[in-house]
Amino acid sequence: MDALAELKQTFFQECDELLGALEQKLQALDEGSTDSEDVNAAFRAIHSIKGGAGAFGCTELVAFSHVFEASLDHLRSGRVALEDAPFSLFLRCSDAVADLVNAARNDEPATERPDLLHALEQVGAAPQAAAPVVAAAPAAPAPAAAAPSNDAPPGIAALGNLLAMVEAKTGVSPPSSAASKPAADSGWDDEPAFATPAKSSDKPGRDICLRIMPENDLFRRVIEPRVALASLPAEDIVSVACDFSHVPSLESLDVTDCWMRFTVMLRTELSVEDIYSRFDFTLAAEEFEIEVLGSAPANDDAPALIAVPSAPAPEVSGSVAADLSAILAKLGPAPTAAPQPDIQPEPPRQIAVAAEAPAAPRPAPRPPANEAAAARQRQAVSVRVDLDRIDKLMNLVGEIVITQSMLVECVRSLPYDVHAKTAEGILTLSRQTRELQDHVMAVRAQPVKAVFQRMPRLVRELAQTLGKEVRLVLEGENTEVDKTIIEELADPLTHMIRNSMDHGVETPEDRIAAGKSPEGTIKLVAEHRAGRIVISVTDDGRGIGRDRLLAKARSRGLVGQDEKLAPEEIDQLIFAAGLSTAEVISDVSGRGVGMDVVRRNVESLGGRISVDSEPGRGCKFTLALPLTLAVLEGMVIRCGDERYVIPIASVIETQHLASTPIEHLTFGQEVLRWRGEVTPMYRLGAVMGSSGTPNENIIIIAETERGDNVGIAVDEIVGQQQVVVKSLEGNYGTVNGASAATILGDGLVALILDVDSMLRLAASGGRLPVPALKMAG
Amino acid sequence: MTLQLSEKHFSSMQAESSVRRIVTFKVGDRTFGIDVGMVREIKGWQATTPLPHAAPHVRGVLNLRGVILAVYDLRTSIGLGQTEATATHVIVVVDIEDKVAGLLVDSVSDIVDVPVSAVRPAPDLERDEHGLIEGLVLLDTDIVALLDLAAVIRDGGAEAPMAKARAN
Repeated sequence: MDALAELKQTFFQECDELLGALEQKLQALDEGSTDSEDVNAAFRAIHSIKGGAGAFGCTELVAFSHVFEASLDHLRSGRVALEDAPFSLFLRCSDAVADLVNAARNDEPATERPDLLHALEQVGAAPQAAAPVVAAAPAAPAPAAAAPSNDAPPGIAALGNLLAMVEAKTGVSPPSSAASKPAADSGWDDEPAFATPAKSSDKPGRDICLRIMPENDLFRRVIEPRVALASLPAEDIVSVACDFSHVPSLESLDVTDCWMRFTVMLRTELSVEDIYSRFDFTLAAEEFEIEVLGSAPANDDAPALIAVPSAPAPEVSGSVAADLSAILAKLGPAPTAAPQPDIQPEPPRQIAVAAEAPAAPRPAPRPPANEAAAARQRQAVSVRVDLDRIDKLMNLVGEIVITQSMLVECVRSLPYDVHAKTAEGILTLSRQTRELQDHVMAVRAQPVKAVFQRMPRLVRELAQTLGKEVRLVLEGENTEVDKTIIEELADPLTHMIRNSMDHGVETPEDRIAAGKSPEGTIKLVAEHRAGRIVISVTDDGRGIGRDRLLAKARSRGLVGQDEKLAPEEIDQLIFAAGLSTAEVISDVSGRGVGMDVVRRNVESLGGRISVDSEPGRGCKFTLALPLTLAVLEGMVIRCGDERYVIPIASVIETQHLASTPIEHLTFGQEVLRWRGEVTPMYRLGAVMGSSGTPNENIIIIAETERGDNVGIAVDEIVGQQQVVVKSLEGNYGTVNGASAATILGDGLVALILDVDSMLRLAASGGRLPVPALKMAG
Repeated sequence: MTLQLSEKHFSSMQAESSVRRIVTFKVGDRTFGIDVGMVREIKGWQATTPLPHAAPHVRGVLNLRGVILAVYDLRTSIGLGQTEATATHVIVVVDIEDKVAGLLVDSVSDIVDVPVSAVRPAPDLERDEHGLIEGLVLLDTDIVALLDLAAVIRDGGAEAPMAKARAN
């Protein structure tokens, strides 16, 4: 992949994030938020998408997002009141932008949305006839009150971007190159500008003139002057002037070129180095100049400073050295520039370090392009890493864990004096391994938000198609899950939500007739429980139509004609292949593949799905997935001749069997009293059919996904250790009672118990649960 | 090793496309064979971890260099009861479809080239109700039954037996 394609890839990834933010903010506003920051954030998101799209030549995307942005701008400027704003239109537009992004990503022709464009253009058109976005030059001076919002880029109003340049050439814009013109609200970008700050006299600090002379490729580097300037405190900016005089005539103007020059007057307490470092990230050294106005700086320090970088790096090439001296020339004045005595003179050492940075690490001359690339790279605070690499890392950690438990095993057989020392080392090793593993896992962990975010759109679109009113409530979006699981979650969740929308929630008329509010609610909740992530989709619809489902199952021969099923068993039939009770086969669901596919997807992830339904009241699908697919903390237990691993996360406590009162219920079920409650108890050896003769001594109190407790009787607790999760499905298939397997220190395989699945195994007396068996066929 | 084998196999296939190269192994006094291309490796018996309520011919799972695979007892599959596995028994590790599996046999005998024309269709044996045998090859003295591995693995898999009598 060449560099541009790679950049483009990054852009699309960012688009996904931005679209998520856009949608979220619009949603919040739609639900009645009056926070102006929501508006600003939505605006910024679409604006950034437009900017990037321009850089990569996605013309349709630019065109659409430009109109979208303009209408959001009406909101921001207050020309359209928040309560009048058509947020449903905006939400549909954000969906359209998502489509355009996808089209651009896949190099497919984009679908034009003239309807949406037209509707967007209507926004704000009425009150102010087609308000030209460019206001007459001095007409709108910035309000005087300084109100810099926390993260909104200070409106560097006269600055801007392509449009400003175009406007400059079309003559609508303010006269160019007015040095020190007050930051007038002139561009298309008329967010309430940072206020002209307090008069120079009453603001402490020095007067600094910052000249920005970007290279033509500024936009192609996906840098926006506005963003760069946002790194300065808004209240420090006295004025910003933009010089359009270099902009070529419109005919010869390539809109991806930047021809603007900026002059920013600052009154600030920031040191020159500080300002330098703020721009150093976005701009190349020769692209900006910092000049301290006022008392003339004493230049005595400068030569001494220049000597610093040249001494350790004499092989620095001419061009880099030239850059350096330019930088240093700019930096030099700093220490003595301060007119105010209370400003701490900057220690020269710091300057030297700053100046050294670009030179020291590379002896060879570098072309300027690389310089710029490096500058851009430094801008990033996070890195995007190929998932494959992390997986390899994780696998390696897994191997280390196994090797380590093997070592532990070996050490046991050593003579005592050697043993003690080695054991100590191994202890340290194991602590470090654990830490390493935690960190790698943390890299893979991601909030489920990434997939939850896609659901509002789905609900919106489905609601429209189905003529239903549905409110989607998201909870626990920040629950973190392994990245691989997140990716696999999208499909099952989509199916589940479709199912709830189509079969669960009734039409508004039906709901009113049933005495419910016309608007249905679907709740999507993620949480951690018993070492798993549990995601539930709850609707308040009509519940599962058991009679119809059963009749259908009978007609398909899935259930015998005379077979009696408990209501819960009937509900489970919803996961059977080819069963759909929808009367009309719709586009949405109803082909009878949905829930069956969901079940298979979820099971292939080592998870399971269940349903609870209450006729007339609603339906709840619960999806339980392993938190991670890699390593877990386990308790190794023995039963008969077999060892098993039970995830520590499932264990509440352990106690001796002898000291626990056990009672037998009439149908053979044993129960024990634990913390004043009657808790069912199972003997592991019997449930799992362990070989050898079990001799239970210990009871493990474990937690199920539902939050119930259960006692599991085992022979012995062997120890506690990290185990690497190895799939059984890969080469074998699902094993009832176990979620996966692991390799113990002696190289033998042990099953990792799955409490919930074990209980079902116990309840079925060793056979598979009845409906599941039928469905498997 | 395996790679070499398959390359050799491949070239011989090209030379005389009418020849099948077969690995033969023994269970009791009976000889079975599978195509050499399906064999990943041959290893000595290694203790397995039994799976709860698995079919009788599933001996359990073992760790093969970090990969967990199930071992199937061919003796059980052909109805001769369970193998009393010892160090001399052999696990033939095979690729079946997209899975890796182990086949527990008494010993591996030979690798033989058999003309395709010499493979006879399996007679309609009433005993072989699971269709384990794909064809028969007559060698000097032995009759080699070519196994349909997928059927061997499938066999009995669906019929999970009742739980062992519950302890207590």
